[in-house]
Amino acid sequence: MKVKEIMTREVTSLSPELTVQEALGLLAKMEISGLPVIDLNGKLVGMFTEKEALEYILPSYISKVGRFIYEENPKSIKNKFSEMNKMKVSELMRKDVITTLEETTLCEVARIMLTQRSRRLPVLDKTGSVVGIVARSDILAALASEAETAK
Amino acid sequence: MIKKLIFLLIISTGLFFLSRNTGLNFQQSLSISVFSASILGTLFFWNFRLTFAFLGTSVLLITQTIDIDNVIKFSSLEVILFLVGMMVLVGLLKDTGFFAWIVSLILRVKNLTANRFLVIISLISALLACAIDEVTSIIFIVAAIFEICDYFEIDATPFLIISVLATNIGSSGTALGNPIGILIAAKSGLTFEDFIFKAFPVMLICLLVAIAVLRFWYKKTLKEMDRKIKEFGYNEMLVSLISVPPEKELRISLVIFGLTLFFIALHHRLEVLLNLKHNTVLLTLPLISSGLVMAWKWKKAREFIEKDVEWWTLLFFLLLFSQAGTLKYTGATDIFAHKLLLAVKHSQPVLIGVILWISAIGSSILDNVVLVAAFIPIIQSFKELGFNLQPLWWALLFGGCLGGNITMVGSTANIVALGVLEKEKNIHMTFFRWFWVGLSVGLVTTVIAWLALLFLPIYN
Repeated sequence: MKVKEIMTREVTSLSPELTVQEALGLLAKMEISGLPVIDLNGKLVGMFTEKEALEYILPSYISKVGRFIYEENPKSIKNKFSEMNKMKVSELMRKDVITTLEETTLCEVARIMLTQRSRRLPVLDKTGSVVGIVARSDILAALASEAETAK
Repeated sequence: MIKKLIFLLIISTGLFFLSRNTGLNFQQSLSISVFSASILGTLFFWNFRLTFAFLGTSVLLITQTIDIDNVIKFSSLEVILFLVGMMVLVGLLKDTGFFAWIVSLILRVKNLTANRFLVIISLISALLACAIDEVTSIIFIVAAIFEICDYFEIDATPFLIISVLATNIGSSGTALGNPIGILIAAKSGLTFEDFIFKAFPVMLICLLVAIAVLRFWYKKTLKEMDRKIKEFGYNEMLVSLISVPPEKELRISLVIFGLTLFFIALHHRLEVLLNLKHNTVLLTLPLISSGLVMAWKWKKAREFIEKDVEWWTLLFFLLLFSQAGTLKYTGATDIFAHKLLLAVKHSQPVLIGVILWISAIGSSILDNVVLVAAFIPIIQSFKELGFNLQPLWWALLFGGCLGGNITMVGSTANIVALGVLEKEKNIHMTFFRWFWVGLSVGLVTTVIAWLALLFLPIYN
């Protein structure tokens, strides 16, 4: 089975010009953690997830300082949050996006997801335009149905 | 990028032909050319420095400028292993929350005033840079500074600069603060006690003078901070901002680290007592401690080795040391040492000044390890010419550490701290905002070290 058979074809995407506040609102409304960012020409330019937002709000040095517990919320968080809300999606999105192609097999997509620690992959056609999106749950559901059929 | 590469090739090839024309043989000229390419490579292409180190050492081997046995001999594996051991220990301290604990101590300072804040961050920056490497210590000092400055709504930049300047000064206080300290200790035969008695007091004086200079320099900032402290009152929220669990592990790791430092301080006496070769205990202790740490935390041992040891940097050091050793092996440094002596008319005081200022100015632009690695074989050559090497080693140490303050790229601590400033506060440091205060502190402290080396008899 190939990705094109199971991918979601109606891709909801974000415009790079959208504000982070609007983007986070959309994520909350759709109850998902991230969306691809596609420009006016239909080209994939990045991926915006809740992780990028959290990374921006919390200090970048937290992992380097070592183990500790925040007993209070630092004062800087509020300022950073309002600062972030005004930013454009293009300023915060991850630009290095892992993608897959329509003809890729399910196991290969699963391998990419595991090795690259990715939850969902945009699917591109030969011209590089986004034609769909595939999530971990899609792969598992397709593999499960394949296993059922084999029985 | 292409322009820089062409410049690098022209300089290193030019040095080859210049060396040939001044009477040096093929091997000597090639070793100078390859080493200069590595230096310029680190200056222009920081992310490609290992490429230059790998290719350069390969050229030296293939052209039989040096053989494999001597590459290994000059690579200073003992120094590399010492640094590996210390990095594992620092990894443990990080894992058990030691650094976060220090941050919480700074946040809990009572009756905070701007002056008190300046003195505390300067002292802690300097003293921690004496005990652990400066790049690690600067990260959590910066973390504490940001939290306090955010709380009182003041610009953190001046305090970040202050802590970096103090860190670089502090790193000259012992053999542990900077890789050049342990490199000099390993090559010179100076003991940790020598560092405590001869480097630490000079470091302290430099620090106190630097604090005075910085108080004057940042008069307005300190006044503004005092005003904000009055406005915001007691820093109640900062006191309970973070905690460190579980405390038992923190205590054990502190004991391990404390004992390591204690025995490092006594290494020379232990070597005499056990009839061991010079510096054997000094260079082995981090291996013993990190070995015990990996036995205690065996589930995380691989993580300590793979994530906390900076293999990228250490491999670069290893190959750089062997390239610098090639200069000695081919005899190029002997010739250079001889010419330098002629230039200073065989005067030891002038030579001390020349080494101190060249290493200070050089390390304001270059990685000080590169500079010190190049200088070590030259200083070793002076021994054969009948010079007392001790003041020259100290000149190299002080120049290499204190010179790092002069520019914003003068040491790794500067680059790391400014990277955090840019990421967290979106503040881009300009060359001159750093330069004037860095130059003032760099000049004053280097002059203090110079006077100490010239006039205090303990250095002779």
